[in-house]
Amino acid sequence: MNCTEVLDALALYLYGELPPRAEEEVEAHLHGCPACRDALDAQQRLHHAFDRARAVPRPDLVAECRGELFRRTAARPGWRQRLARAWDLTRVRWVLRPAGALALVAVGFLSARLPLRDSGLLRAPAEPPVATVRWVEPDPSGGVRIALDETRRRVIRGSLEDRLIEKLLLEAARDQANAGLRVESIDLLKDRSGNDDVRQALLQAATHDRNPGVRLKALEGLKGMASHPEVRAALPGILERDDNENVRILAIDMLVQNRDEQIVGLLQGLVGQEENSYVRMRVRSVLEEMKASVGTF
Amino acid sequence: MAQEAAAVIPARLAPRVDEHELIRAVQRGDQNAFEALVRSYDQNVLGMAFNLLRCEEDARDVYQEAFLRVYRHIHSFRFDCSFHTWLYRIVTNLCLDCLRKRKIRKEEPAVVETAEGPLDRTYSVEEERAAADPERNLCNAQLAGRIHLALAALTPRERTVFELRHYQGLRLKAIGEMLNTSEEAAKNCLFRATQKMRTVLGDFS
Repeated sequence: MNCTEVLDALALYLYGELPPRAEEEVEAHLHGCPACRDALDAQQRLHHAFDRARAVPRPDLVAECRGELFRRTAARPGWRQRLARAWDLTRVRWVLRPAGALALVAVGFLSARLPLRDSGLLRAPAEPPVATVRWVEPDPSGGVRIALDETRRRVIRGSLEDRLIEKLLLEAARDQANAGLRVESIDLLKDRSGNDDVRQALLQAATHDRNPGVRLKALEGLKGMASHPEVRAALPGILERDDNENVRILAIDMLVQNRDEQIVGLLQGLVGQEENSYVRMRVRSVLEEMKASVGTF
Repeated sequence: MAQEAAAVIPARLAPRVDEHELIRAVQRGDQNAFEALVRSYDQNVLGMAFNLLRCEEDARDVYQEAFLRVYRHIHSFRFDCSFHTWLYRIVTNLCLDCLRKRKIRKEEPAVVETAEGPLDRTYSVEEERAAADPERNLCNAQLAGRIHLALAALTPRERTVFELRHYQGLRLKAIGEMLNTSEEAAKNCLFRATQKMRTVLGDFS
């Protein structure tokens, strides 16, 4: 490749979108061409500038949007939802169909005229529980039996210093069923990585969470503790195993904050196996600054 | 084609068992499951729409319309691509429509010219953080303003491809599938976008 071809390829090279062969040719050219390396540096600065200029919505906007969305969807279920619910009802065992249908008509008739909350069937002194009907069946006495799953929601307010609040946030940060909840909990905890429990939770999330957004958020929270032995011990594993390039980029930035000789072997190994161009270049430049060879022999 | 798209989505976006169960619960009409599903994705959706459109009202509209479409059409989702791909296809198309309408209406730009250079009116979050350092705040707003002008020089399609690749980290093959085009076309689009922005911004230090 000549300089013109390399300059044209740089944009895709930085995004790791060149075919492997072309990428090798670009790297070989860059190795011997200071002018193209300067051009690469300029493009990297441009990338960082784009990152810095990212427009971020104000923090409470997402809560406002959610509130509006949930009000709209709860108030008026879509026709497909209604259709789907009706379809589900047809899956009741055929022997129970006539009785089930009768029971449902009765339930519908009653619920339209006698709200559950007012009927005394549900006791909700402060806040009505969220109830899901699990099954219905005719009662031998001629009535109807209905099984409800109830969830009662309670809002707790308090400072992050409050031990109970922290404990609940740590619980939420481990809720495997809800990645959004984990992200939000870790976001709230991330400035408290000096606390042992919080740091352990962040480390656990950064190394094991299935969701890359959660891993990235947890790692951001550990940034201020990059020199802590537990955090440093976790970074090589993240660099070797995490399949998300943004997580690896953050991990390499944290690892090279403290340049001791122990990381040289790891960095040399990364040059050969890392697929992200930015991480590879960062590793190369750190090795060069540490006067270590780029490859292993 | 959708299956191909799913194949190029990184492992982080691969459908997960718990998410499948959540989607099935939404398909059964479970409102709590719908809310949990929304919470898993909505910060990213809102962040992408806001960064791409740089207008709170438009980002709000895209958020509402995207998740309402999910709510209305979740029963037609057959797991032949990841939910992430399906959702982002909806969001991307809504954003593209919004950008195209803006081009036609030639709306007031988010960047205003000042004596210190272009300033980005949407640059608000960093403002709060940098409130204690007005000089740095001004520099950041100027930088954001210049970059906003560079982004405004792109066509809606180029802008969208750049957003998906640079800010959302999606591979070009997946972006091509999302926009119903080829990987090569997405690559050309990204190339044109970066060339245009380099021309507008010049050397950056």
